[in-house]
Amino acid sequence: MNISKPFAFTLSPSILEPMQKQALSNITIGKTADNFDLVSLPVKMAAVNLSVFYGKFQALNSISMDIPKNKITALIGPSGCGKSTLLRSFNRMNDLVQGSRVEGLVMLNGKNIYDPDVDVVDIRQRIGMVFQRPNPFPMSIFDNVSYGPRLYGIRKKSILEEIAESSLRQAALWDDVKDKLNQSGLELSGGQQQRLCIARAIAVEPSVILMDEPASSLDPISTLKIEDLMETLKEDYTIVIVTHNMQQAARVSDFTAFLMIDDDHSGILVEYGATDHIFTNPQKQQTEAYVTGRFG
Amino acid sequence: MPRQTLDREIHHLQDEVLLLGSMVEQALLNAVDALKQRDLIAARRVYDNDDLINEKRYAIENRVLILFATQQPIAHDLRLLAAIMEVITDLERMGDYAKGIAKICLLISQDDSPIPSREISRMCDLAAGMLHRALSAFISENVNIAYHIPQEDDMVDDLYNEIYRKMVAAMIENPAVIDHANYIMWVAHNIERTADRVTNICERTIFIATGELLEISTSDDEWGEMDEE
Repeated sequence: MNISKPFAFTLSPSILEPMQKQALSNITIGKTADNFDLVSLPVKMAAVNLSVFYGKFQALNSISMDIPKNKITALIGPSGCGKSTLLRSFNRMNDLVQGSRVEGLVMLNGKNIYDPDVDVVDIRQRIGMVFQRPNPFPMSIFDNVSYGPRLYGIRKKSILEEIAESSLRQAALWDDVKDKLNQSGLELSGGQQQRLCIARAIAVEPSVILMDEPASSLDPISTLKIEDLMETLKEDYTIVIVTHNMQQAARVSDFTAFLMIDDDHSGILVEYGATDHIFTNPQKQQTEAYVTGRFG
Repeated sequence: MPRQTLDREIHHLQDEVLLLGSMVEQALLNAVDALKQRDLIAARRVYDNDDLINEKRYAIENRVLILFATQQPIAHDLRLLAAIMEVITDLERMGDYAKGIAKICLLISQDDSPIPSREISRMCDLAAGMLHRALSAFISENVNIAYHIPQEDDMVDDLYNEIYRKMVAAMIENPAVIDHANYIMWVAHNIERTADRVTNICERTIFIATGELLEISTSDDEWGEMDEE
């Protein structure tokens, strides 16, 4: 009898030093035989021994994980496990929280984004963010999308129009709004507003898009549209999504990271691997309990 | 239209089921052909290639399980994926029947006792044809064809009985051919069981289209599955 059995493998060694690897020894990475091989995939971003503190409280405890390029990586876990903190640390949004402090590295294309010589505005252009609730600017649809490019110095209308159309097309919104680009973005439906926010994010040509519960305020059909859109977007972008909705993580992501809190209430990475594997044969008992709804 | 991922995966799985079905159909035709031609190389190939059939079955099963776990299929999608799980089990078992015929071909290679080639060929063509059309109906969810195909099983059963009687007569006439005749009966039995399992595919087709789980009765039902295991 020939049965394909999942097997364990280790994280890409490309950017990890031996000492850092030690910290990973308790993390299980898995895959199914006919699925993606995380080791062989190009790494777009990586957290290396990443800890985040809010004052004296340690929100994340030594997280190390690779984010593969042009894939969707989902962060799941119970409330308070630090998944949003981890997501926000990927484009230094935590810098805006008073008293926050970061230890460890967040690598983007081999460079630590927390290095002193890094321009945080440049980082946020390269790593876009889509939030839980659609938050279009109180301006026209066109201005919403062209706001970022204008900020980066593009003035020529024809180029801005080109960017707006391209971004709205990529966000699967162009056909809905092409005849009303001067209407306020706030007049769109919730799902359309969220797609407008995605168009706004990709208008500045990021390479990574972070999504923090991007569909939690949307109806089921709009949610599925956003999920399909993500599937299309990953051809051009690397996507990291935080979601409370486990089924959504299962549906949309290629890889899933399960986080939970340790005895000190700090977020730790329990298991990280191919989504197919996490939802059919997780290696850790805590992951099994969480994905089957018996915990969290 | 949302659910592109699920739709794409389902189409892919349907293609894979068709591919598995064609591998099984070809295995049956090749096994019977090898038997008639006493072609040991061809028989060995069918015997060995059963591993490929098994591998594909498990690959499809694995993919369906992943879809259950990650895509939360419901209603028609759920029925279709559940039916695929059943159908691939039947197909894999049909592959085992073809492998069994190939094995018999290898076992009786040194025996030049006559083989009722005409009846076996006819049975094989009928069973292969039923399988081919049942899988097409399965993919297109054609309920009318799914109801019709099991009726053809009677012709297969008639041929099986004909071969059975011939082989019993041969054994009575010449006890030296008992082993050979017994093997030929097993060949006929394997083809007959293949045709029976086509009925299962038809039942699953009706299940996908209507949601109704039913058993289509065929004339040999009185034997049940007593000889199955």
